[in-house]
Parts: sequence; structure tokens; C-alpha cells
Amino acid sequence: MSTVLAFDFYNWHFFFAELINGLTTGSLYALIALGYTMVYGVLKLLNFAHGDVYMIGAFIGYFVLNAMGWPLKPIMPLVPLLLVAFAAAMLGCAALGVTIERFAYRPLRNAPRIAPLISALGVSFFLQQTAVLLWQANPRSYATYSFHNAELYHPVGWSNFRFSYIQLLIILSTVVLMLALSFFVWKTRTGKAMRAVSVDPEAASMMGIDVDRVIMVTFLLGSALAGAAGVMTGIAFQTIGPYMGFGAGLKAFTAAVVGGIGNIGGAVLGGLLIGVAETFIVGYVTSGFSDLVLYSVLVLFMLFRSTGIRGVAVIQKV
Amino acid sequence: MSEDAPTPGEESGSTSPQIGIDEWVKRSGERIAGPGGVFGGAVRVAGRTPRILLLAVFIGFACVLPLLTSNGYVIGVDADTLLYVLLAIGLNVAVGWAGLLDLGYIVYYGFGAYLYAELSSAHYNLHWPTWQSVPVVVAFTVLLGFVLALPSRRLRGDYLAIVTLFFLQMFNNFTTNGYTLDWFGAPTESGLTGGPTGINNVDPFRVFGHALTNSPTDYVWAAAAGITVVAILFTFVNRSRTGRAWRALREDPLAAEAMGIPVKWLMLLAVAVGAGVAGYAGAVNGAYYQGVFPDTFMFPLLITIYAMVILGGAGSLGGVIFGAVTVNVLLEVLRTPAHARWIFYAALLIGLLAKLRPWRVLAAVLGGLVAFGVAANQIAGAISAKAVAGPIAVGPTAYTKHGFFATLVRHWMILPGGTYTNADYKPGNYAFVATIALVLALTLVKGWKRWALLVPTLWLAAFAWETDLVNQAPTVRPLFLGVILIVLMVMRPAGLFGQSRVEVV
Amino acid sequence: MAAATPILELRGLNVAFGGLKAVDGLDMHIEEKEIVSLIGPNGAGKTTVLNLITGVATPDSGDILLGGESVLGLAPHKINQKGIARTFQSLRLFLNMTVKENVMAAQYGHTRATIVEQMLQLPRARREEREINAFAEEKLGFFGERLMGYRWNQPAYSLSYANRRRLEIARATATRPRLLLLDEPAAGMNPVETHEIAELIGKLRDEGGYTILLIEHDMHVVETISDRVVALDHGVKIAEGTFEQVATDPRVVEAYLGTKAAATK
Repeated sequence: MSTVLAFDFYNWHFFFAELINGLTTGSLYALIALGYTMVYGVLKLLNFAHGDVYMIGAFIGYFVLNAMGWPLKPIMPLVPLLLVAFAAAMLGCAALGVTIERFAYRPLRNAPRIAPLISALGVSFFLQQTAVLLWQANPRSYATYSFHNAELYHPVGWSNFRFSYIQLLIILSTVVLMLALSFFVWKTRTGKAMRAVSVDPEAASMMGIDVDRVIMVTFLLGSALAGAAGVMTGIAFQTIGPYMGFGAGLKAFTAAVVGGIGNIGGAVLGGLLIGVAETFIVGYVTSGFSDLVLYSVLVLFMLFRSTGIRGVAVIQKV
Repeated sequence: MSEDAPTPGEESGSTSPQIGIDEWVKRSGERIAGPGGVFGGAVRVAGRTPRILLLAVFIGFACVLPLLTSNGYVIGVDADTLLYVLLAIGLNVAVGWAGLLDLGYIVYYGFGAYLYAELSSAHYNLHWPTWQSVPVVVAFTVLLGFVLALPSRRLRGDYLAIVTLFFLQMFNNFTTNGYTLDWFGAPTESGLTGGPTGINNVDPFRVFGHALTNSPTDYVWAAAAGITVVAILFTFVNRSRTGRAWRALREDPLAAEAMGIPVKWLMLLAVAVGAGVAGYAGAVNGAYYQGVFPDTFMFPLLITIYAMVILGGAGSLGGVIFGAVTVNVLLEVLRTPAHARWIFYAALLIGLLAKLRPWRVLAAVLGGLVAFGVAANQIAGAISAKAVAGPIAVGPTAYTKHGFFATLVRHWMILPGGTYTNADYKPGNYAFVATIALVLALTLVKGWKRWALLVPTLWLAAFAWETDLVNQAPTVRPLFLGVILIVLMVMRPAGLFGQSRVEVV
Repeated sequence: MAAATPILELRGLNVAFGGLKAVDGLDMHIEEKEIVSLIGPNGAGKTTVLNLITGVATPDSGDILLGGESVLGLAPHKINQKGIARTFQSLRLFLNMTVKENVMAAQYGHTRATIVEQMLQLPRARREEREINAFAEEKLGFFGERLMGYRWNQPAYSLSYANRRRLEIARATATRPRLLLLDEPAAGMNPVETHEIAELIGKLRDEGGYTILLIEHDMHVVETISDRVVALDHGVKIAEGTFEQVATDPRVVEAYLGTKAAATK
């Protein structure tokens, strides 16, 4: 992803700038990874379409901003405007996620293991191509940087350690959303039901838990977070496009695995780690082959820590 | 689809008036639900025909087609289709037989194509003859299959899927940026892989001193020969110990391992064997197009081949061949708006005729559809003449304004004038989204509500089609693949020809 | 009895899942042609012992000797090929394969034809195919009429529950083991079928020549056919001996019925 700051090379200034950039990218991965980790935890399904839900979220944000006159004649100040965009993207994605679950995954609850995966692949491709159909393939710009608000994107800070308010905002919102999600999963009734379903759906349903509803809530929350990540991507990196979800989804799923599937803090940690790793690879190692190097690292991650840094090996009953 | 079960009268035929339990169990195969209707009949007829005969008919038709027509486009589609068939057969080994979700399959195809291009082209000035380069390509692709499948030793299911998808991304990254690598003394301007423009001027196949420059006809035969050999060899493998072990692995890896089956080795073998086929297909691709390009070997192609395998029925060799042919022919038809329009309406009509029973419902829906459209047209026309003034013809293919079909459509459809441009807020976009919503809603309601809802859904679908989709072939084609995958998984995971599987009883 | 090496010997086997000690210092041996029953309340670690023997799980410490040779750390399929076969408590048949295919698939380790030979149907591949086909029919024939005739070509999921259990045993014997591990073969069966299974296990030893380690909850079955019984509780061996000795052992009674019942006895 493009960077907003201008650097000197090979010095502490560069290092910190890269670190902050990495954490920003990583925060976005982390938000997407939360959706993966929740869905995988509850349904044991790799929801390939999740990355594309994130992409749709970015587009919803874009159209809401446009509809309110952005960037030339905004009908309200930036902050409420962004909040409206966030709310719309999160709601829209939540609805989308629930719809996907209801129509593409629920009929396959008892199908062979490979069936929902292929269905997910189909949904992913369908969403991607729908976006191309509706909004064309060429990328679009959020234009939150170029007009009015450039100061938010300018680095501030002390000596070598510099960051922009937008980066700070994204990293902090990720932390806040993660904490809110943790609170939900650990303290509320639905959250507890969610954890029960993730351990044993059948037993949970016999204990009077409405499994369908829990799965619906899981998709709702995960997709809403992806929608937020989509808008944040637009704000931070300006460019969005129908194909943005694919790579981000892959990396975010790996983040969820690295953090230990089903583990909320782990997913965020994994997301930050992969974001920083990616930025450093581009900045220090190679830009042309950054994907090659990054994915090699991810393959190794998957191979040797497939239970994740914070995950627990699950005992399989024979 | 239980209505296909024989009625009791049929079952207690004249020869066996009393059927004991054993007899009943023995005949259970006959009662297993298969696809119904005309298609089901075709499946049953095909099921009774010897496989080798079906294969001969298929290959024979594909090979004779170039002799029957001089239409280069048709022969080109024939060659492409056979390449897809080859790819589908290869993918079927890992996905259908061994039950591994290998999403890196395209890597082997691309690797085969690139390796052939390196060995037999002006790129390195090697120009190896076909009989040397093709075996080397296949051997190295099999080897690559083994290497890339190594992670599968540790990973199962979804994790394997994601890691193999990483390989696909890595391969794309490598081929697109490989122009910076001057390995083995590659030309500095194009490097190892030629970068985004790929490698050009790849040699055609040369067989027995005869260069197959007369593409595509010659490559129809090259691919057909490959399919024949591979289909026969794979049929034998499927019937032997390895095929059985693959199925055991698909059913239950843990039990398979406890029964002395080296599961990890068989996973490698399944991926590598499929990779070999993809490698050969890659070489044919390189020779046929006389060039290899990185954009070919990407995610959309993977989805295409999966759609083929899934549609036909993963695990059934005949099924995946059928799937590959069907999907590719449909994709080609969708490419031209004139053909696509016919297919669209024909598919809707056939679907209605096949699915709507009793005939009263069918008549009501069809009548309602006509009335709804005409009424909408009249109302819109009364409000604003512009709303129905749009041309029926959009895009590059010009339609006559007065043709019979055009006249029908113009009186049935609202065609807003001058709004077909690629804008965010064009009516076709809204209609498309609304159609999807209505189709999803259709699956939720039953009985008369469904029939009632069917009318606006179909009309809206036609509206989205006429004002937008018909002209967006490059996007509608992949969209169609996504729909195939989702609909098949939800309705019939076994595909059209696959055996329905029982998971847990 | 000659001091021959026992066919299977477990030495100080330990395994813990998380903090839970599933098997704790288990010593055990099985002699040639013996039927040994492993009993114990639910969660005593019986199936874990089977998983350890078959290589599905790895012990934290201890050793497993098959005919005096350690099989520790071998992959499950290697252990199977060395002569240990098992059935599963929760039935793990290859459901969508035919009955005969289930049994033929289990002979993978006893065939050698390479994939090229199979592709070209060379003589060795064809010969082996004939051999395992005949062997599979023989193994299925062990169950009388139950798994014969038309049933060969039916998918395994079409079988009744009892027949699935039989097929699992047939599949296990098709791997040509010396030692058969049966995990609750009579679970979920009616009394008649249970009785039949008990007879069958005796027949497996007498006619088939297998040594058998049996996990069973049905004490009637255990009593009828066991040469020796080993009782486990919380992963610890609490008693060993003939059925009468074990059944009257106060620690076994306590394990099954609780402390109070044991005290009043």
C-alpha cells in the first residue's frame, strides 16, 4: 500500500515512520482478522468472502461521503461526516455479512467439509465481480487528503518519532474496537453463547442456545468491523478498488491464524505483526518481490505456528 | 428430489411379487436420488453407456469439429475447451478424489507454460524440440507439485487452501516482476519471465518433423491426445490401490492412516499427479498462443476451473469433462451480446418450463410476466416518453430497431433513453442489486407468494439484463462463475454427475 | 508358559493433555493369542491408551514395544503395517466407499505396485488387485452371510449399525495384523448382537489367530471372552487379573460405584 509520508532512507527517522505505517496497515489487517477469527472460531469456516465484505465497506463509505457533498461542498464538518460514513459502512457490511451467512453458508451446515469453502470462494468472487460491474474496475480516491484536511495527514511528533493524526486515529480506533469486542465476547450473554458454540455447537444447542442466532451475530459483528476497516483504508490510503479485498483478506486470515484462531487479542497482535512485517519488507528488503517474500514468511508462519502465538492446540477426539 | 424414486407399483415388478428386506436393500441403489427430469434421464442413459465409448464420442466430436467448419472462432473455442478439460481432469485428482482443496493449481499450469516458453523459444535461444521439452516440462511440474504439496503434510483443509493460495500469489508476483532477474544469462531487457508482457515468440509444437503452426486446429489434436491418454491412465489409477487410498483419505484421513495408508505421501502424490497434467496443459497453452503472459495464470482462471469441476461433479471423470465443456461454451456464448441475449431468455424460459408445476401456475406466471411488463411499459410511457425511448441495442453490436424480438422487448420493457453509460447511478445497477435481493427472497417464501414474487423478479432481472448486463460481458462472465459455485454448493454439492455423498449418519 | 516376549508391552506410559494426566505410568503386556480386556469408567483413559499404541497420540514418556521392538514415534500407518490394527469407538468407516472397497483399501500396505504400474495396468498391479480382492472377500466371509453377496457393492453408509461394526472389524483384519485393538465393539448393540460379537471375538482369536486387546463396557462380554482383564481409573492401572479377581477388587468397585458403595460392600 502506498505511504503518505516522505522519508529519508536508512535511519531512525525512516525506521519509526515505517513502524507507524506498518502499525497502521496492521490495524486494518487486525480489524479484518477479527472477523475471520470469530467466524472460524464459531463455524470452523474460512470465510473467503470476508475480504470482499471489507472492500464493499470501503465503497459504501465512499458513496456516503460523495452523497454528502464531499469533497467540494460537504454538508457538515469532517468529524460527523466520517462518523456517518463509518456507521453506514458498518451497518451495510453487517447486513451483507448476515445475508451471506443466511443464503450461502447456512444451507451447508451439514454438507461435506469442502462445500462451504467452495461456496465462500464463490461468494468472494461474486462480490468482487459485482463491485466491478457496479462501480468499474479502476480504483477511486476518497479525496479526504487532498482537500481541506491535509494537516491531519502531516507528520507530527518528536525528533525522529513522527506520526500523523490519521495514523494515530486508526491505531487507536482498532484498539478501542478490539476492547469493545472482547467485552462483548467475555461479558455479555450472547458473547458467552458464542464461546459455547465455538467449543461444541451441538451441545450448545442442547443447552438452549439458539445456534443460528449466535452465528448470525458473529457474522454481523465481524462484517461490521470489516466495514469499519474499509472506511479506514479509504481515509488512510485514499485509494480503494474492487480488488483490494482479496490480498488484504489473505493476509488478515493469516493474521488470525498467527494470533491463534478464536483469540481476539491474538488476531490483533497477528494483524499488527503482519502489517509491520509487510511494510518493513517493502521498505528494507524488496519492493518488486515484496509479495513473494511476505507470502513466503506467511507460509512458514502457517507451517510452524499453525496453532498461533497465543492459540492452544485443540485435542481431537478419536 | 424424492419424486424420482420409483413408485411401489414399479418396484414390485411381475418377476418378484414379494420383496424381502434383503431384496429391498439390494435395490437401494435404484432409489438414490439423482437429478430429475430430462436431464436426469440423460444422466441415467450416460450412466449405462460404457465410459470408454462416451470418451471416444467426445474426443471424436472434438477432433472432427475443425474438419467440419472453417470458422476459426469455433475451432479456437474447441481448442480452448479441450485445454480446460485437461485442466479440470488434473484438478479433479486433488479436489475430487483426494478431497484436498488445492487453490494453487494454477501455479502448475503457469509453471508448465513458462518452462516450455523458456525451453522452446527465442527467449534463451534454446528452441528445444517438443519431444524433449514437453517431457521435461511435465517432469519438472510433477516435481514442483511434490515440493509445493509438502506443506500439506502438516496442514489440512482450510489451512492448506490458504497456503496454496499464497503460492498462487507468489507465482503471480514472481512472473510479473521476474523481468528484473537475469538468471541463467537471461536477456537483460526482459529478464527471466519477461515481466508483465510475458514471453513471446514461443515455438509451436513440432511432431515428427511437422510444426503445428496451423493453430488452433493442430492444438485441438494435441489437447485431445493428452485428454485421451490422461483419462485412460487416470481411470486405471482410480480403480487401483492408489485411487482407493485417495478416496479413503478423502473420507477419513485418520482412519485411513490407522489402516496402514500413508496419508501424507498420498496427498503429495495427488497434488503432483494433477500438477503433471496441468504442466502438459501449460506447454500446450504456450505453444498454442505462441507466448505466455502472467495475467493468464491468476485467480479468475482458478475460479473458472473450480466452477467446471464443481458443476460436473468433483470426483467423476466424466462429470468434470462435461463441466469443463459446458462452462467454457457458456462463457463463450456470454461473450457476444447477441448470443448472450438469446441464452438469457432461453434459460429463463426453460427454467420456468422445467420447474413450474402444475401447468396452471406456469400459465399464471408467464401471463403475469407479460402483463406486468406491458403494464410497466405503459405506465412509464405515460409518465414520460423518455422512459421508454431507449435503444434496445447497446454497445458494440448494433441491433435493428424494428426486429421482431426487438419490438417485443420494447413493448414489454422500460428502456430509459441515454442512460447506459458507465455511471455509478445508472438504473441497471439498482436493478441488478434489487434482482439479487428478490432472488434471495424467493428462496425464503413458499407457495403462491413465491409465484407472485417470481413475476417482478424475472422482469427486474430482464431489466437489469437489457439496460446493463448484456453489454458487460467481461464482468458478467466471471460473475456467472461465482454464481455457479454458490448455487451448486447450496443446491447440489455433488455436482451434476457426482455421486451424492453421505457425511455423517 | 514359556517366557516368550509378549506381543505388546507398555512400559511406564505417561501422557497429559494440558494439566490432565490421561495415562499415568501404565505398565501392561499382552501375550500371543491372548484376549485382554481393558475396562474402566468413562474418562479412565482407555481410548487414550489405544491412541498411544496406534501412534495417533504420542506419550510424554514411556515405551511401547511390539514383539520386543519399540514402535514409539512411528507414524500411525507404519505402526499398522508392523501389525497393529484397530477399530474405532465412534465408527470411522469410509462411508461413501463400497463395503468391499473399505476392506480392499485397508490392504494398501500389503501391495507394492507403483502408480505407473497402475496407470498402465502392468502384470504386478493386476495380480495384486486380484489378490486383495480375493482376500477382501475372504475377510468379509468371516462374518457369515452378514457382509456377503450383494452387500459387497453397496456403500458402507447403507449398512446397519451392527453391520458397520462388523465391517470395521473386517477392515481392521484386512490389514493383516498380529494384534487387534477393538474399541467398544459391542457399543450400541442389542443383547442378541452383543452375544454374537462376543462369540465373534472368540472366533477371531481361535480361527483367525489374532491377539486381541478389547475395550468394553459390557461386563457380560468381558466376562465371557477375556483371558485377562486390566482395570484403569484416571489413567492409572488399579487392578489386573482374571475377570473374577478384577471384578471383586475393592478399588475397581470404588472406581465404578464410588467410595461409599465400596465401603458398604
